[in-house]
Parts: sequence; structure tokens; C-alpha cells
Amino acid sequence: MKEFEMQKSEQDKKLRAKVGVYICECGPNIAGKVDLDRILADISQLDDYQDVELVVRKYGFLCSAPGKDFLEEEIKTNGFTHLVIGACSPRDHDSTFMGVCKKTDLNPYLYRIVNIREHCSWVIDEMEKATEKAESYIRGGIARVLRQSELFEKPLDINPDVLVIGGGIAGIEAALSLSGDDRRVFLVEKTDKLGGSALGLSGIFPRQGEVVGKKIESVMQNGNIRLFLNTRVDNVIGFLGNFEIELVSGENAEITDIMTGAIVVATGSDLFDPRESDNCSYSESDEVYTSLSIEKMFKAENGVKLRSGKMPSSVALIHCIGREEKNYCSGICCSCMMKLACSLRSQSSDIQVTEFYRDICLPKKEDQERFTEAEAAGVSLIRIKDISVKGTEVSFQRINGEKCEESFDMVILAPALEPSADTEYFANLLTVPLDEFGFFQEVHRMTNPVGTSTDGVFVVGTAHGPKGVSDSMQFARASAGQILTRLIPGEKLIPEVAVTEILEAYCTGCGNCLEVCVYGAIYSDDGRGISVVNEAVCRGCGNCFGSCPSGALRTKHFTNTQLYREVDEALR
Amino acid sequence: MEESAEFTPAIVGFLCNWCTYAAADLAGSSKLELPPSFTVIRVMCSSRIDHNLLLSTFFKGADGILVAGCHPGDCHYGEGNYYARRRFALLKQVMATLDLDPDRLQLSWVSAAEGKRYAEVVNEFAEKIKELGPNPIKNSTRF
Amino acid sequence: MSQTGNILVIGAGIAGMKASLMLAGASNKVYLVEKLPIIGGKVIKNEESFPNLECSTCMVAPIQQDVLQNPNIETLTYSVVEKIEGSSGDFSVVIRKRARYISLTDCIGCGMCYEPCPVSLKNEWEENLIDKKAIYVPCSGSLPNVPVIDSEHCLRLGGGEDCSLCAEACAFEAINLEDTDEILEVNVKAVILATGSATYDLSSIPDLGYGTLPGVYSPMEFERLFASNGPTLGEITLRGSDKVPESAAVIHCVGRRELKYCSAVCCMYSFKFARFLNHKIPSVRVFNIHSDICVPGKSYQSFYRNIEGADTGMLYTSSIADVSVSENGSELKVSYPDAAGSLQDLNVDMVILAAAVIPDPEVTVIAEVAGVDLDQQGFIRTVADGSGSMETSRKGVFVAGTAEGPKDIQSSVVQAESAAGQVMDIVTSQAAGS
Repeated sequence: MKEFEMQKSEQDKKLRAKVGVYICECGPNIAGKVDLDRILADISQLDDYQDVELVVRKYGFLCSAPGKDFLEEEIKTNGFTHLVIGACSPRDHDSTFMGVCKKTDLNPYLYRIVNIREHCSWVIDEMEKATEKAESYIRGGIARVLRQSELFEKPLDINPDVLVIGGGIAGIEAALSLSGDDRRVFLVEKTDKLGGSALGLSGIFPRQGEVVGKKIESVMQNGNIRLFLNTRVDNVIGFLGNFEIELVSGENAEITDIMTGAIVVATGSDLFDPRESDNCSYSESDEVYTSLSIEKMFKAENGVKLRSGKMPSSVALIHCIGREEKNYCSGICCSCMMKLACSLRSQSSDIQVTEFYRDICLPKKEDQERFTEAEAAGVSLIRIKDISVKGTEVSFQRINGEKCEESFDMVILAPALEPSADTEYFANLLTVPLDEFGFFQEVHRMTNPVGTSTDGVFVVGTAHGPKGVSDSMQFARASAGQILTRLIPGEKLIPEVAVTEILEAYCTGCGNCLEVCVYGAIYSDDGRGISVVNEAVCRGCGNCFGSCPSGALRTKHFTNTQLYREVDEALR
Repeated sequence: MEESAEFTPAIVGFLCNWCTYAAADLAGSSKLELPPSFTVIRVMCSSRIDHNLLLSTFFKGADGILVAGCHPGDCHYGEGNYYARRRFALLKQVMATLDLDPDRLQLSWVSAAEGKRYAEVVNEFAEKIKELGPNPIKNSTRF
Repeated sequence: MSQTGNILVIGAGIAGMKASLMLAGASNKVYLVEKLPIIGGKVIKNEESFPNLECSTCMVAPIQQDVLQNPNIETLTYSVVEKIEGSSGDFSVVIRKRARYISLTDCIGCGMCYEPCPVSLKNEWEENLIDKKAIYVPCSGSLPNVPVIDSEHCLRLGGGEDCSLCAEACAFEAINLEDTDEILEVNVKAVILATGSATYDLSSIPDLGYGTLPGVYSPMEFERLFASNGPTLGEITLRGSDKVPESAAVIHCVGRRELKYCSAVCCMYSFKFARFLNHKIPSVRVFNIHSDICVPGKSYQSFYRNIEGADTGMLYTSSIADVSVSENGSELKVSYPDAAGSLQDLNVDMVILAAAVIPDPEVTVIAEVAGVDLDQQGFIRTVADGSGSMETSRKGVFVAGTAEGPKDIQSSVVQAESAAGQVMDIVTSQAAGS
């Protein structure tokens, strides 16, 4: 019905169509290689279209300031219904000419730029052939533009508030950076206290402990942050600017419904269990510890001691536990272990400390001194090819191939960071894919590392991948940067205009399109038995189009009808 | 033999906006020679190209079709080109049943920096289509 | 009061462009100042970026286009900031727009002016691997695609001769040989320094032969040698000949010992080079001479594992400081101490030195103009002190990208986004305050 009416109104429009065809000479770049006068004459006499009036002109430089003024004036005085520009690449000047259209009554989607420079005058040497080609492209542009439809921006109201999931250091930093008088933050933590795994760090990183403490205090005092402890996130629907969320708190499962414009996921990570590695076997009673448990011991006891209460006289620190199993380097363990080694040496110079490492990975410029400090503190650093731990017995192969065995009073392992247990739960809840390692997948590794394929959901801290405290906080601030610049209180969001729509009459609700959409822009309307595009989320790539068996999809501004007209003219 | 020497194939190239169209621009600004029989049609992503569009383009008389997009892994929309690749493999099989040489359809990955390679791909493809001769199902009423 | 303001961003690399786009998207007016005639920064010099070997141009060109077409961004290429006075929320800035001699609005980038220019110079942007004219764009695909005149070497501007061949060749009257520097004074609420970094001066280690042995390359030279829009159009041939190298060695950690920090990206680009070589020259033999492998984060190690053994032999050396390169007939001899400390020799055609990342040579000037402190290593210091803040020692002035220290593209973008958020704080809190 709707489709029919739309086609009808477009037909009406075509009956009265007046198409402006303006060809840019681009100095000699087009005019010198293409016989523009011939094209002007040919196109003016084009009798392909009854009831279509063509106005065909050429101009020196349409992209220049006088050129744009000229074009604006021409559109206004002629009252064009459609406009074709024969010029350069749309990558250069599509937005320029769309801008000109916007100053007039002509909808910018009823204009088409045709690239007769990069595709004709610059790459075809013979004038005759270049002219024919340019004419063919322009005919294609006219045929296509007549099939284009008006499209309009649909500004959306937004909610500037933010849900932050996870009360570790990344979540805290995000909440603090985002909260303001016109932006509330809902900070949700599943346990009964803030701080996350950073809390355990204060043993050998007292300064970091202090920082975390201060930040927790700031959260408590911040009137724009609403804290939910012992709370889980149960239900999420929506998209950037408009999310509806259900929180479930406490033993009584008290439900709070909130609405926000964005979600920051800061659900953290876990430690790899060393016993999953073939190279580590030990029991609970062995004097074998992980780096985190030692940090806790340090905090509680101001140093390390054996279960007997005695101080160990020899300690082995073993790097890279789980690195091969996980197939990534966590990037922070070397620095932590060296700091720990120094702490052990300052606890008592009677503790012999040996560090076993494969590669020293200190990617932060300020961390390099950790290595020098460890060396200076008398830590023995042994580079190995291979190592295995049985209780406190360590057998290893040095880098030169020599095999050795040594026994220690205490062994401390540096396990890799791995995705936290509830990562998968949140991936499903938020429809964010996981990467090959089980961490949340960013939308683009380099150009958008905190964004996810569900726009409006951001991933920060170690939920994104292994990283240290300062990087975690920086990721948190990066998400804040995106939210603060995109969700501005009182302002509206303007989603992509040239998106895809699904024609209800043809849709069988098979759900193929739903499967292939990486943006989660399509949902199933079970009541009507069809799939529906959320135009606020769709980016207009058209991938769904190829998946539709019933021809129900229409990629606005790149419809098949439009493309067929271009094909027809190309093959004339 | 003489006929095929004079045969100028009609080739349509569907190029993705982000990578290959940019490469075409680079080839243009580098003034690399391209065959006049090659017509570019811009789409946002190679995954937008469906079987109907390609088959119709053949029925309408294209002697060859080049679809070109970002290299695998480089898609502006995440993974569109992987879908394009899969759909392609399928269509090539269909083409054989239509007496249409599957070589008339080519999928190439050309990045935005590869202006020179773009020109090579297009020129080589045009040569190949020239050798294959005219499209046998052009304007065919069989279908 | 409106919740927007003027912002100054210095440096149009990935970090500067990203921050500018975000702030412009929030309706702020951004002055993006770039000292080179083109925008894009270091990333566009790399044809493919690790770890996915993604085409950098495909990734960055849309960002460059967005920057140039954004009505809220005034991109000032070939310009330098000379003064930043005042305080957070109210800085007055003096920008010198250097004479470009070619109108950005009239030039359409046809390139007709290069040919007639009688001057031939080394193209520094192409690591001096190719020549350019005195009127030039650094590489094909430059954005903006508008040339500039090297006034020092131009016969007319530098030599006082009566030459105007370029202007005569221009059909658009886009060349103005009388052009002069322009001074622009603007007020901004905040400043982001995204001025990037440089690579270690390899000639300072004579034992490695850089600058004396033609077969020894810097990493940027190799990037350009691989690039399809580079000086050899992507053919990997040895300097000054058509010879394709049959073997190559990449020496890791060059400068690390001297600088006392790890640059975090060199291992990855060294492995990338091995892949590049194998990709273009299937029969090539490649060796990575390394000490510690630094591949932090979730996606780097798998790249290394894919390349190790397959694309390159891995040769461990117990001391990078004792590695040397010398001439051996038509080949290069690399001597390195192995795991046991005994000296081994390796003969190859090509040597690439994985140079450390160092502060931009002009960082002290930038720091002085911006009134900010440098850290121990000479990068711009943040006062983060245990938080992720990008604020420098001067309030309202932020830093992002490799100006702050060596890092990969991801971390540069993260810092740019963080800095943009902090700038928004200043813009909005000032609005609320008044």
C-alpha cells in the first residue's frame, strides 16, 4: 500500500520532472579531453524521456565559490525537480553539491554527481572515446536520478544519562568522567563494594591503592552518580541515545527500571588458572601462589611468609603463565613481577629472588626502570625457553639450551588475564560479539577501539583485553570522550539517511537479514511475522539486501531500480 | 577470428565506495589508461551486490562484470566483503548452468592505496573478456 | 551561554584528526593546525598496519576526507602555532599560515605544474628515496591534493631568478608567486597537542652502517619501499639498483639501550616487514635478529606466531648493542652474539633497522610555545598521576598520541578520545559556570 502510494507520487513528480544537467569543465581537465559542446547538444536532444524537461549547461568550475552560487541560483530560478552534476569524484565534491542543494528547495537526494573526470577524461586518451564515455555516464546519471526519492533527516531525541556496568577502576573512572549536572550516571556493581581487582593491588603498589581509594570516595560524594551495589543488569533494549534497562538488586531481587543513552561495559577480567597449564602442577598445600594472592598477602602482612609463618629464603617468580595457552601476552605481568621482586628484596635481603622469563615486555616508557631496579636489587633474572613447575620444584631450559632443576621455598606465578566469567552473559545481553580470545570485540581495532557493533555500547578496561590500570582508565576516559561529544544534553542525534527498509508485503520473516547485520539494526516483529529495520541504527551498507530471498529489502538511495538504470545506460 | 579482434566488450564494474572507488580515483589522478568499455557503478559495499543484479546485468548484455571491494578484513562495515565472497562462489556455480563462463564474473580486492593495481586489474579483466568473446546469453529470451 | 567553543588541535595525524572530528561533531569550532602541507600523519606512510595488515589508506582516507569536508573544522595545513597565551577556557593563539603559493580553493590537483619546474630536490616525505620538484605534493593521493612550493629551493623565490614556469602551466590561476605568510589570531577554550613523534637517529650508531651502506634501511624507508604509492610503486628493490633482495635481516631494538625504554611497536612492525618481504618476494629469506619480544595485548602475539618460522627465521642475540653490519662483497655481513654469547655472521642483501620511537625533534619548541613540561624521555608529560587524564602541566592543554610517548594506533586513538572528552568538560563546565 505504502509502497504503491510512494511510487505513484514519484510518478507524478516524474511527469513534471525538470532535470538540471550541469557539467563542470574543471578547466582543461574535463573540457580539454571531452567534447563538452557535443555532449551538451546530444543530451539536450535526448528524447528518452517524455514529460521530462532537460536543462543542460556547462560551467568553468562548479566547485568554486562563484560556481556554487551560480548553481544555487540556477536551481532556484529553474525550479529543478532533479539535478545531475557531471564533474569529478563524489569523494571530492558530493558533499559540496549536496550543500548547495540544501540551500534550495531541492532535496539533496534528488541530485546525483557523475564522475566524468577520474572515470573518463583522466583515463581515456582518445577524445572521441572519452566523450562517448562521458555522455554515457551522464545519461546514466539522468536515468538514475529520475528514480531517486526524496530522503529526509530524522533527528532523534536523546537521553544523555549513562549506565556503567562494573565498579572496578575502569568503571569508576568512566563514571567520574561522565557525571555532570546535566548527565546522571548509574554505576552498577555485582558485588558489595567498589574497586574491583585494583583493590588487591595496594600491597606492592601502595600509590595505586591510594588512587583507587580516593576515586571510590569521589564516587560516593558525587550527587550525579547513582550507585547500585549487589546488582545485576537483567534486561537491555535500545540503541545509542535511547536504552531501556532493568536492574535487579539485592537478595530480594528489587527491580529498578532506568533509561540511558549509552552503556559503558567495564566488567573486568579474571586470572588464568595456572593448573590449566600442562606445565604447572601443585596442590593447595604447596607454597605456590599467584601474583594477585601475593599482593593480598603483602597488603595484609606487609610482606610474604610461608604457611609455617617463616619467611622464605628463596622465591621463584615465573612469568608468562598461560601466555601460550591463551596465545596473547597480557602486557602487564613483567612490570608487576619486577616490582614484586624488588618488594621481596626490600622485605629482606635474605630472600633470594629468581625471575624466570621468556621475553621482557615493558611497553610503557616509564616501566623500563623496573628492569634496572630489579637488576640493581640483586634479583637474578633468567631467560628461559621452557619451564615446568611441580609444587616448588622448578625445571627449566635456559636460552642457550642448558637444562636445569632447582627447588625453592616459594613459587609465585604470573598468570595471564582472561575474560571474566560473565563476559558471555553480557555479550548476549548487549548483542556485542566476542573476539577469538573471548574478550569483547571492538568495532574497529584502531579507529574505534572502545566502540562496539552495537552503537552506544562501549567496552573499557580489561573487559576489552588485558591491560594495566592506567590503560584501563584511559579506555574509560575514551568512552567518556565519545559519549560527551555525541550525546549532548538537549541536542538531537541525526542518524544515517540512506538506510535500508523492509517492505512488509514481501517480507516472510525468515530472519536471514537479521543474521547478517553486524550492527544489530534489524529485529524481528513476531506479532506481524516480519523483520523490521531500526533506521536509527542502520548504516546503509546493504549487506542484508543480498541475503533476502523474497526481495523485501530496499536500500534507499541504492535501490535495484536505480542501479538497473545505470546498468542500462552503461550497456546501451 | 576477425570478429573477435574487433569485439569491444561491455564491462560493468561495481565498486565499493570506501576502497576500490578510492583506488579508481587514485588511478584517475595518476592518469593511468583504462579501457573505455569499462563502466563504473558505485555501491556502498560489495555485499550490497545480489545475484539478481549481477544476472540481470548479464542478461542486459554485459560481457563481463567486475565486483571489487576492500581486502578481506578491511571492510568499512566490518565483514561485508566476506559475505560478498560467499555469495559470489555460489553465483559462479549458477553461471555455469546458464552457459555463461564463470570467468566473466570476477571479484577482486583492491585497496584505496592501490591505484596502479586497480588499473592493472581492470585492464587484465578487459583483456580476458575480449578473449572470451561476446556474452552468449545477451538479450536471451530463454530465461 | 552555548555549550560549544573554539578548540585548537595541533597535528593532523590520526590522533589530531580523530579528536578534531569528535569535537567538531559536538558543534565546536576546531582549528586543526598541521605543519606539513598534507594531513594524515605517520599512518598514511604505512601501506598496511599491523596486526591485521589492514590497508591504512582505506582506514585513514575517509577520516581525512571527513576532516577536510567538515564545516566545523578549519584545517590549517603548512602552518605553525607561534603563541598560546592565557589560561584554560580562554587562550589566545597566534598561528602562522606559511605561504603555500598555491590556492587551496582554486587548485584542483591536476598536477600540470610539476613537469615544467626545472628544480629537482630530494623528497623528504618519501625518505629521500625519490626526487620531487620545487612545486610538489609529498605523494600521490595526498590530501589536500594541492601542491606547495619549496620557497627555499624555488629558482624564483629562493634564487631570485625570473622563472614562473609553474604559474604559466597552471590553467586555474591557482599559483600566486607573490603569496606571503599570514598571521591568524584566534581565541580558544582548550588545546590538544597531537604533534607525533620521530624515529631514532640511526646514523648515531656507526656500527650498524646506516647512511654509509646503501643496503641498510630505516623502518620508514622500508615502509615507503613497500607502498604502492611510494617511490618504487611498491617494488622492493635495493637502493640505487633494480636488484630484488634475496635475503634480508631485521635488527630489533635499535636505540632501546641508549634511550632506556621500549618503544612497544618495533617488534610488531619488524614482523610485519618479514611478511611484506615474503608477500612481494616469495623466494626471499628473512631473519629477525631480536632480544626480548614485546607483543603486548590481545591481538599481537598471534600475529607474531603466524610469522615466526613461516615468514622469518628468529635469531636470538644476547646483546643487541654488539650487533654490527659491514660490507662483504656485494652483500652485507651482520655479526651478532648468539644465546651463548659467541659471535655469528649472517650474509644478507638488505638490512632493516627497527629504530626506536623518539620525541619529535621540534618537541622542545612545541613545549615552549604551549608552555608545557616534558618528561624524562623528552615526550610531553601528562599530570595523570595514576589516572587516565591527558592533561599536561598547563591547565586546559592536553596531549594525545605519540607526542606523549611511543604507542600504537589504537592507543593513540584512545588518547585522542580521552582528550576530546576532557576538552568537552572545559567547554560545558564553562557554559554552566557563566
